[in-house]
Order: sequence, then structure tokens, then C-alpha cells
Amino acid sequence: MKVYDVVPGLEFDPERDFAQSPAWFLDGTHSVPPWTPMFGWFWVNFCRHGMQYGAEKLSLPTVKGWDWRFHNGGGYLTLLLVKSEEEKQRREVQFRKAILPFIEDYDGLWGGFVQEMLGRYEKLKSLDLEKATNIELLDNFEETINTCRRMWEIHMYMMYGTYTAYILFENMCRDLAGIDDTSPDFHNLVSGFDNKVFQVDRRLWEFSKRAREEGLADLVVACKASEIRCKLEESVAGKGFMKDFMDFMNEDGWRMQRMSEINLPTWVEDPTPALVNVKQFIQKGGSFNLDEERKKITDQRKEAEKTVLSKVPQEQRGWFERLMVLAQKSGVFSEEHDHYLDLYTHAMMRRSALGLGNRFACDGALDRAEDIFFLIPDEVRRAGLNPDQFDMRYIVSRRKEQWNEWMKTPNPPAFLKEGFDLEMAMGVLIQSMDPIALKVVVGSMPQVRPELKADLYGTCGSPGVAEGPARVIMNEDELPLIEEGDILVAASTSPSWTPVFSMIKGVIVDRGASLSHAAIVGREYGIPVVMNVFEGTTKIKSGQRVKVDANLGVVFILDK
Amino acid sequence: MSEKWLYWFEELHSGHNELVGKKCANLGEMTGLGMRIPPGFAVSVEGYGRFMEQTGAGEMIRQYVRDHIDELKSVKNQTAASRAIRQIVESREMPPDMREELYRYYEELKLRAGADEIAVAVRSSGAVSMPGQMETYLNVRGRESVVRKIIEVWGSAFTTRAIAFRLEKGMPIEKAPIGVAVLKMVQARSAGVVLTVLPTIGDTSKVVVEGNWGLGESVVSGDINPDQFIVDKESGCVECTVNRKTKMVVYKDSGTTVADVPEDLQGKRCLDEQELKEIVRIAKEIESHFNCPQDMEWVLDCSGRCPENLYWVQARPAKFSKVKEKEADYLAELMTRMFKC
Repeated sequence: MKVYDVVPGLEFDPERDFAQSPAWFLDGTHSVPPWTPMFGWFWVNFCRHGMQYGAEKLSLPTVKGWDWRFHNGGGYLTLLLVKSEEEKQRREVQFRKAILPFIEDYDGLWGGFVQEMLGRYEKLKSLDLEKATNIELLDNFEETINTCRRMWEIHMYMMYGTYTAYILFENMCRDLAGIDDTSPDFHNLVSGFDNKVFQVDRRLWEFSKRAREEGLADLVVACKASEIRCKLEESVAGKGFMKDFMDFMNEDGWRMQRMSEINLPTWVEDPTPALVNVKQFIQKGGSFNLDEERKKITDQRKEAEKTVLSKVPQEQRGWFERLMVLAQKSGVFSEEHDHYLDLYTHAMMRRSALGLGNRFACDGALDRAEDIFFLIPDEVRRAGLNPDQFDMRYIVSRRKEQWNEWMKTPNPPAFLKEGFDLEMAMGVLIQSMDPIALKVVVGSMPQVRPELKADLYGTCGSPGVAEGPARVIMNEDELPLIEEGDILVAASTSPSWTPVFSMIKGVIVDRGASLSHAAIVGREYGIPVVMNVFEGTTKIKSGQRVKVDANLGVVFILDK
Repeated sequence: MSEKWLYWFEELHSGHNELVGKKCANLGEMTGLGMRIPPGFAVSVEGYGRFMEQTGAGEMIRQYVRDHIDELKSVKNQTAASRAIRQIVESREMPPDMREELYRYYEELKLRAGADEIAVAVRSSGAVSMPGQMETYLNVRGRESVVRKIIEVWGSAFTTRAIAFRLEKGMPIEKAPIGVAVLKMVQARSAGVVLTVLPTIGDTSKVVVEGNWGLGESVVSGDINPDQFIVDKESGCVECTVNRKTKMVVYKDSGTTVADVPEDLQGKRCLDEQELKEIVRIAKEIESHFNCPQDMEWVLDCSGRCPENLYWVQARPAKFSKVKEKEADYLAELMTRMFKC
């Protein structure tokens, strides 16, 4: 039985692809559990394009971005290295000019892109999906594809430029002030900034205060997550509350429940995840003050800035301070780009695809609107204008069957050519000097220090020490299980996990570097994060008491 | 009058900003560093407060502000308020006990200067940076005049801009953290500034000295084309530009005036090799003490020989900005280098 390729031209093919590169890494942060076909198609095509676009636009001296392949719902990637010395030198000359916009006017650069994207989203949203003609719906879908493509260009161009500055700052802190990115001092330097994701979090906290003031708190706490909305709407006060809450969702709820998937509702469609956040804030009690928590961290940062600047020779302070400000924007960018780029664009993809999906379901091309996520754009186009003429269900059923198989067997963390091992592969990544490889994918390797007698050794993502019951969370669906005071244990985290950071006392992640989500958010919430322990999720069981010492980068399992 | 409100400069150091204002604290710090500064003393911020309370001026100002609070929002009225308040301050007499103590210090200053008649400079010394001109009176002679000028410096805390500033910040209008420096005037043969950085491009490897005949005011104000010496900190190499200096600032009976530079001096450099060397030597020393480029003012006395004739009247961190473009290029260069390994 023929099943069409999900990402034509970019399906993993060992024979050809090992000839190109001996190591292909699974993007475990974004493609576990496996993607639906439509989402995989968008991601692999355009994230790949964006990375190469960003590297090319900046003319990065050593790398040309990454190549991607699709395999059983997983994304696999490998670096594209600059091959000759001459070319490196040519690219260096270009790079020196191309990086200037980041140094000269970072806020203008990023702010301009945010405006560009928000403009695109507004245009996409302006189409009334129910009243639109098929032509308009298909146009909207095509425009969504272009928007996603553009989003990834901006995403990776910004990410490469931003992280380059961050790495230089890290190096300079080490050279001039003697601190590196695994040191608590360093983390204090780059935290305590406001950003869009945090602002959304703050609104949720305010809604929790309002619920308490209006006597709705008990009801919210007593309800199951899925019932909060219905129960609230039974009372007058609750109706008013939900009305304002949905207004807020329409502003800031254009995001997916899962960071990198479109088969779950957006917050606008189903505000349950956001309401669960409100519930969790209520459970923290009335004395919890998000603003005060934040202020502490901001003050700590200002202290750290003074300390570090005093160690830098006066005549170097000018550029150093400027570099510091630039590096500090990395954390803000890391959080904000998820909001303005990935999450919002994915919400647009879901919206536009479901617009067509509903039409397809009405006209019999599909059984259910959501089945459209098992088609790829070329197949959508086939039935786009005249869905009554085409039966796409056979493709959906084959793909679904396949997809269910992918769910059963996890994708391997890497495809390695025979004779090539993971360590060699990591070495290549580090040598590439690719900023994304260094700061998001690989990170620093933990130092094992037997004298500490720790159970797990990792690196510091955010300083501090904490002790509490472990909660192992493998995917977003399990987030509501988290309770106040838990230590979160995960493979890695993503922006949809941000709100739980205000409840937990510490984080242990299998993989991560100083600019991964867990580290950035941990710093903003002032909780310890230990990263790159590799075996956290396999060695630790939920309910075990653990002690996290991020300053030393170690984890102790207290009851074994 | 139990609490101390007059201080000799050697009793002060840079930690005394709040006590006597920045200028006095700085002169104290300079004394402590062994720089030769003109002998003198400081009137503390407390002294100002005491004057305002004992003479009733403080209460009158408060009353004035209460009566005019609504009008004070417009700039025009602030100008009128400035005039009225200065008038309140300057029409008061110095309370007798304060006057006595100032006289005592003034007599002692004459002894220290080793002269029966001296001319002093009376300068404001704010504890915080406050916009607006604060007065400096040069060549003040006689103890009555000194007391008078101190009151006038206090009055100068009520310029229009200073009032607007305090209103805007919600600060009490009659309180001004202002000290006064009283220091002997040097009989300036020539004077000028020295910066331990080239301010135009932020080059910290050079020292630049500028000077003119007479008092330093002509150089500071930028009205004339002074002599300029750019000295390399490492090698001591000097790049000399001797300009034609036609005007200079000199004392008159009381105060200063602009005068013509005698013909034979106009084209002549206003400080010799040895004096230049000494100025640069001390500037470098002070820079390394504060670990920060300095902007300093020097005066060469008519009498005496180098280095005894060299006096310092100001040392502060130099204001300069590395040209933005240059900084950006440097960062771009550093980022480029990062990829080489």
C-alpha cells in the first residue's frame, strides 16, 4: 500500500544522507512525541530554510546553518559546515558588516520584525472562516504557508545574531571578570527582565487575585480542570470573570498548548490550560506576590552588574557594557520569540487549516475537520477549491495508522553512520562554533566530581539550592499533575511550561544549555536549574525526595 | 553653635559629598593625594541649613511656596519666584555667631597663606548634580565680602531651573544640598585643563593639556584658542600646538575681567617643558588612583618655580564617549574573531 512521503524530498534516507553527514540528531525538544504529518511538513521545510537563511544573511564564517530530515514524525538535523579556509575568510568580511544591525539597534531590529509578524497575523485573522469562499480559504492557507516561511527566516536570523553576542559576552566575562556561564554570578547578570511571556503570566496571576476577591476561588480550586469554565459561567460573577478572561485570551491566547504541534486547541479555542494556571496561582495563596518575587531578581541583577563592571578596566567598560546589554537581550528574545513567532504562527496554521478542514468535512473530502492535520499542503491544494470532488480519507487513514505506529516506538536520539559515535558527533558540533549548537543543542558537558557523591551530575542553568518531591513530566499533558513545591524533572521544557515555574522549587532536565528554555525561565523565577544530567527522567521516579544543588550542578536522590 | 560646619580641606575626603558638596569633598580628596591645592576651607551643607533657619529665610521661602504653589507650574512664574526667593536669601544678614566663626577661619586662612591681604574664590559646591548655574565669585577681598559672597552662593541655589527641578522631583524647595568652598586665589601666570583621555575619540593612551595666560576661565569657557599639548602616556612623546593667544582673564579690584595679552607673549607657549611634564605626571597619577580618566584644572603661580608654583583646583572623572560607531565596529570585530579557533 502506497503511503506518500510526509515531507517529499526530505525524508531520511540512510544511504544518501550518511554520505552527506555521519551524524543526524533528533530534535527531542520539538519532535517528541512525533509530529502530525502537516506540522512535520511545515517544521522540517521551513525551520530548515530559516536556519540556512539566517546563517547566510549573517554570513556566519564557519557554518551555513542546518539541514533537516523527517523520520517517523521526528525531525533530524545536521550541520552544514563551511568547507574551505578561503570561504571562511570571505564570509568573515561579510559577517563583520552583517552583524552590525544587532549591535547598533537591537530593539529596533527585533521590534520591527515583531510588527511585521503581528501585521501578517492580523491580516490572516481578518478572514471570517465561516463566511469565506473556498478561494479565500485557500488563499488564506497559502498566505499562512508564506507567513510560516517568513517566521522561520526572522526566527533564525535573530537567533543566530543574538546568540553570537551572548557567546561573546560569556567569553568576555570569563576573560575579563573570571566568571563563566555555569556560575551563579553569570546567571544573575542575565535575569530580571520583563518580557511578553512573563507579562502574560502576570495577567494570569492578576486573574487569580480577582477570583479570590470575587469569591470565585473555592469554586475554581474545587473543579476539575476541564470543568472550570462551565462552572464559572453558572454564576453572574463568574460570567463577568470569564468574559474578561476570554477578552484576554483573544489578545494573548493565540498560542498552542503544545509548543510545536497544531493538533491541540489554541488557548482561544479552549482556555483550560490558562485557567489551570489561574487555579495554580490561587493555590499558591494570597501572600504570594509575583511582582515582589520579580523585583528581588532584578535587584540581584543590578548588584551583579556592578560587581562585574568593577572588575572590567575602565577603558574597556564602554564596549563591555554595551555587549552586556546586548547579551541580556538574549534571555528576553528567547522567551519573546516563542510568543511572537512560533506559538502565534502555529496558532495561525491551525486556524487556517481548520477553516479548510471544516469545509472538507462538510463536503465529504474528510470525515472530521481535524483530519486535515494528516494531509500535507499539496494534498490540501488538490481538494482546496472543490472539496466535494475529492475523497482524501484514504490518505488520512493510512497516515493515521502510520502515526499511531510512530507513537509506539520512540525515535532514536541520533542516526550515526557506522564507526561514528555520539562523542565524535558532539565534537563536530562544538567545533562548528554554530551559536545555536553551542547554546541550545549541546551545552556544556557536566563534570563528574565523585567527591560530591551525587546521583546525577549536570551543569548550572540557574543558580540556587532546593529540596522537594520529584515530579517527572514527560509531556505537556501531564503539567496539571505538578504541585506546589515540587522539583520538576523533564527531558527538556518549552514555553507552554513557563507558568508552572512559579509553583516549583527546582528543575532537573536531561538536556539543555544556558539559553535553553528551562535555564532562562528558571533564572527569571529565581529557582535552581540543573541541566545536561542526561539520565534524570530515567533515574528519578515521581515522589522521590531530591535535592538540587545548581551551584555545584548536581542532584541527590534522598530516598532511594 | 555646637556642631561643626566649617572644615579645612585636609579634613575632608571624597566620602564627604553629602557633608560639604562634591567640589569641597573633591578638594579634600586631592589634598589627601598630595596634590598642591590653594589653601582654603569648606562651608558645610549644614551651615546653609543653619543660616536658613536662624535668619527665618527658610520659613519665608516655605510660606512663599505655599502662597504661590499653583502659579509655580508655569515657567514665567518660576522666574519671578527665583528672583523673589533669591531676594529673601540675599537680604538676610549672617547670624552673628556664624559670622564670628567665618572670620576666625578667614584669619587663619591668611596665616596659612602667609599674607596680610589675600584674595579668595568663593565657589558653590553642590552635593548632587543640580541643573542651573551656581555661582562662583573670584578675587573676593576682605572678610565682609567673603561673608556676603557666601550668602550669594546660597542664593544662587534658587535659579529658575533649580526651582523647576525641585518641584518636578517633589523635593522641598527651600532645601538645597549646597556647600561652599572658600579658597585662596592663585596669582595665575597661566592656567588651563588636563584630560587623561582624548575626549573626541576616547583614546585613553593620550593626555591632553590645554592652557592660556592668566586665569583658567578663558580655557574652560572655550572662548579662545589655547595652547594644546598631546602627550603619549607610554612614550611621553609630545605633540605641540602653540596658538596665538590674544585675550586672557585677569583679576581686577574685585572680580575678573578680560584683558589683552601683551604682544610679546601672544605667540609664546604658556608653560615650559618642565611644567608640562609635571602636570602630566600628576594627572596620570590621579587617573590611576581613581582608575578612571580625569579632567583636571591647573594653575601656575606667578611666583615660585616648578613644581612649587603648580596648583590644582579641580579633578573629576572625564566625560567622554567612545564614538558609538567605533564601539560597534570593535564588537563586530570581536564577534568575528570568535569564529576563529
